[in-house]
Amino acid sequence: MATTTTKLHVIYGDTTLGLVGEHFHYIFSYDQGGLESLQQYGKEWLYRTPKPAFWRATTDNDRGNHFSAHAAMWLGADLFSPCTDIEVAVNGQVITLPVAPENNRYSDHETADTVSLTFTYTTTTVPATTVEVVYTVDATGQLTIQENYTGQPGLPELPALGLQLIAPTMAIGFSYQGLSGETYPDRMAGGIPGTYKVDGLPVTPYLVPQENGMHMQTQRVTVTRQTTLNNADPDQQAFSLTVQQADEPFAFSCLPYTAAELENATHQEELPPARRTVLTIYGAVRGVGGIDSWGADVEPEYHISAETGHSFSFKIAGPDELNH
Amino acid sequence: MLQAELKWLDDPETFRVNQLPAHSDHHYYATVTDADQGTNQLEQSLDGTWQFAFAPNPQERPQGFYRPDFDRHNFDTIQVPGHIELAGYGQIQYINTAYPWEGSHYRRPAYTLGDRTGKPGMFSEAPDNTVGAYAKHFTLNPGLQGQRVIVQFDGVEEALYLWLNGHFVGYAEDSFTRSEFDLTPYLQPGDNLITVEVFKRCTASFLEDQDMFRFSGIFRSVRLLAQPKLHVNDLTIRANVQDDLKTGDLNVTAQLAADTFDGAQVHLTLRDAQGARLLERTSSADDTVSFTHLTVPTVHLWQHHDPYLYQLTLELLDAQGNVIEVVPYVVGFRRLELKDKVMLLNGKRLILNGVNRHEWDARTGRNVSLADMHRDLSIFKQAHINAVRTCHYSDQDVWYDLCDQAGIYMMAENNLESHGTWQKLGAVEPSYNVPGSLPEWRAVVLDRARSNYQTFKNHPAILFWSLGNESYAGDNIAAMNQFYKDHDDTRLTHYEGVCRNRDYTDRISDMESMMYDPPKAIRDYLQHDPQKPFINCEYMHDMGNSLGGMQSYMDLLDEFPMYQGGFIWDYIDQALLVKDEVTGRDVLRYGGDFDDRPADYEFSGDGLLFADRTPKPALQEVSHYYGNYDD
Repeated sequence: MATTTTKLHVIYGDTTLGLVGEHFHYIFSYDQGGLESLQQYGKEWLYRTPKPAFWRATTDNDRGNHFSAHAAMWLGADLFSPCTDIEVAVNGQVITLPVAPENNRYSDHETADTVSLTFTYTTTTVPATTVEVVYTVDATGQLTIQENYTGQPGLPELPALGLQLIAPTMAIGFSYQGLSGETYPDRMAGGIPGTYKVDGLPVTPYLVPQENGMHMQTQRVTVTRQTTLNNADPDQQAFSLTVQQADEPFAFSCLPYTAAELENATHQEELPPARRTVLTIYGAVRGVGGIDSWGADVEPEYHISAETGHSFSFKIAGPDELNH
Repeated sequence: MLQAELKWLDDPETFRVNQLPAHSDHHYYATVTDADQGTNQLEQSLDGTWQFAFAPNPQERPQGFYRPDFDRHNFDTIQVPGHIELAGYGQIQYINTAYPWEGSHYRRPAYTLGDRTGKPGMFSEAPDNTVGAYAKHFTLNPGLQGQRVIVQFDGVEEALYLWLNGHFVGYAEDSFTRSEFDLTPYLQPGDNLITVEVFKRCTASFLEDQDMFRFSGIFRSVRLLAQPKLHVNDLTIRANVQDDLKTGDLNVTAQLAADTFDGAQVHLTLRDAQGARLLERTSSADDTVSFTHLTVPTVHLWQHHDPYLYQLTLELLDAQGNVIEVVPYVVGFRRLELKDKVMLLNGKRLILNGVNRHEWDARTGRNVSLADMHRDLSIFKQAHINAVRTCHYSDQDVWYDLCDQAGIYMMAENNLESHGTWQKLGAVEPSYNVPGSLPEWRAVVLDRARSNYQTFKNHPAILFWSLGNESYAGDNIAAMNQFYKDHDDTRLTHYEGVCRNRDYTDRISDMESMMYDPPKAIRDYLQHDPQKPFINCEYMHDMGNSLGGMQSYMDLLDEFPMYQGGFIWDYIDQALLVKDEVTGRDVLRYGGDFDDRPADYEFSGDGLLFADRTPKPALQEVSHYYGNYDD
């Protein structure tokens, strides 16, 4: 399957679009509404298609100032917003969506320099708005991912804005270049820039499980796993995936749980057994606040307006760029 | 003969019966060698296993259990020190503002709302007043025999009755203050039986409504102490610094006890930290012995980064020149003053990088170990924390010693918090506030101020006396403020509650103290002709994932000299380590997790540390900001 050219091998399937190159294989699904498979060196990195992230598990301060109540429709949007439009561009040119029978005009020898897919999600909020996730893949297998949120007057402030990627098995750890410790926009002055290695996927054990594990101002994060769900893959060698800064540093958290799983627990011991890796890359993070826990709001400069647009981008390194 | 009366539980005017007066926390030894080595032949610990019986209320308690011939064969055992609830008797409960009986019993404090009955039976006949009956046999160690012997209870929550060999000795309240009784009249050769009856509730319950787990029992150490025939009952050290900020002015007053002072002498020595003798004085012994204005030229000042301590020793000698008692005490020379409405320490503007610290250990509750304290001080150092508020009671006395040594500025609080009597659903509603201005509630709070002052008055670390927390303001708290003013001109008073009742602004608190005011409100105060320097006695509420926006408070330090920092709420989460009923793992549990209702749930977890003393991520932020002002 590996191509000997320096171009992407493009497979125009009936329900998916496959992109193949040396040591990588990506599948975008029209049916699942997103990137369904991200394989490098034969290892699958996606459990389900990545989705825009809008929710953060309620912090004690959020509960105290009723932010979660005000912003509650974003929890539904985080869980349920459907993909409502898909667009494909090859070498920068938008093409007719190559589903059957349109794709009958292609062959098994199609190549391209770059392929972009844009998945548009319509939020379940009232009023609704849209979020585009644009994946651009080049011949080296590098993915540039851009997320564009469309502002919509009348929507409550966003708890968060990111893209959530869930890997099928739990990581053995991650390393990152950014700030020490757990940081938020209004709590990052003490973070020391550097390269840090984290073993496992620690959940900060707040008495009530809540939003945790954020890392602001990150240039790079490399997640390492050792196991897959592939029954035909007995290999136990560690393997990694790297997310890199595009234009601006990004924020991320790498946890074994989704925001909804954290939200549902009142004690650490109620969290389900850890079995996946939830890597969320954030373009906007709301501050945690701290004046009090019974009403004081987060300082205004650390809010995320949902009435204005937000865009952010980051890269997933191709297999040749792995340098770990 | 004095008889124990259950009705004392109901009477706010009865809070100590036959207790010895509060005095300084000095240690004393029979020999110089003992003092040097810190071993004490005059001391005998009563910690360990005691016989124990629990009763759900006063009516069902084992009456007469203190009699030596009482059949206690069906008693259980319990470890002292410890909380009764953590030993498996009595329900664990966590609640913040509301009284723990909220929704179960209707209570108004005696003499409030025009009451003249005194509310007899409110606690002595209460179905929710659990009782612990403690008994222990002991034989005096040789070092204690033939002398006056007292017993010290470092902390008993919340009311205790004491008997020795069946004789009633006395009664005490004030859970966080040492209670002492003279056992000498009832001691017998050989075996002795000490018995203590501990009630969970009494009128002090209205004054001890701290935001914490509600426990009872003998939760700090108990010991016997023999007093030599020449004995320092009380010691007052004033280590002042003259206006030149270079000359030390030491004043020492000792209250002595003896059968006879004939020919007896008091020998004072002051050594520097290296042990070199700087001063020696001798005086004939008497009830009161004073050494005044002893000058230490070019004195080495005590402060956070250089907590230099001199060593004072008093030796009591009999007519033959034999050493009868040795009392060592550390001395820190420092000068705290309010100048141009700014608090200065040793002539320099004071900045408080502080935390509020409950005594807490996830396994043992408010019975904290020496190891816990050492760990706390090491975290203080790492995070550039230079000040601690003992919220909202007196801590174990060793903590004050450690703060002297580590250079931690202390706000020493009285054991007082009555927010349930004036703060209802977040609103100020003081209709039945105590202590308020009620004459029947005055002596008890003055006693708490006196105990706090007398016990800890010699610690250089203490810069502020705090009158208590969230108890509103009235004549009685003003009287506490006056007590400190009458006794101590080397420290300042603090009380936040006066901001809830401005009528008392001129009579209570040397500083403007608020809790959780947003930076904007503090700026507003400081820009409008402020009369007192400002401190945050509680700020940056670190509940769960919090502590965002600290920069806005730190900016005030640069803008306003009269803004002098504050104390983060708080140092450590209150949560209890228990076995998960499903997995068997050790897990941390909070309010409401013990079927306790009503509860304030996870509000118990506001620390910079998790309850197991591991730091929360926010600690690095504190370290950064406090580090910027750590000079």
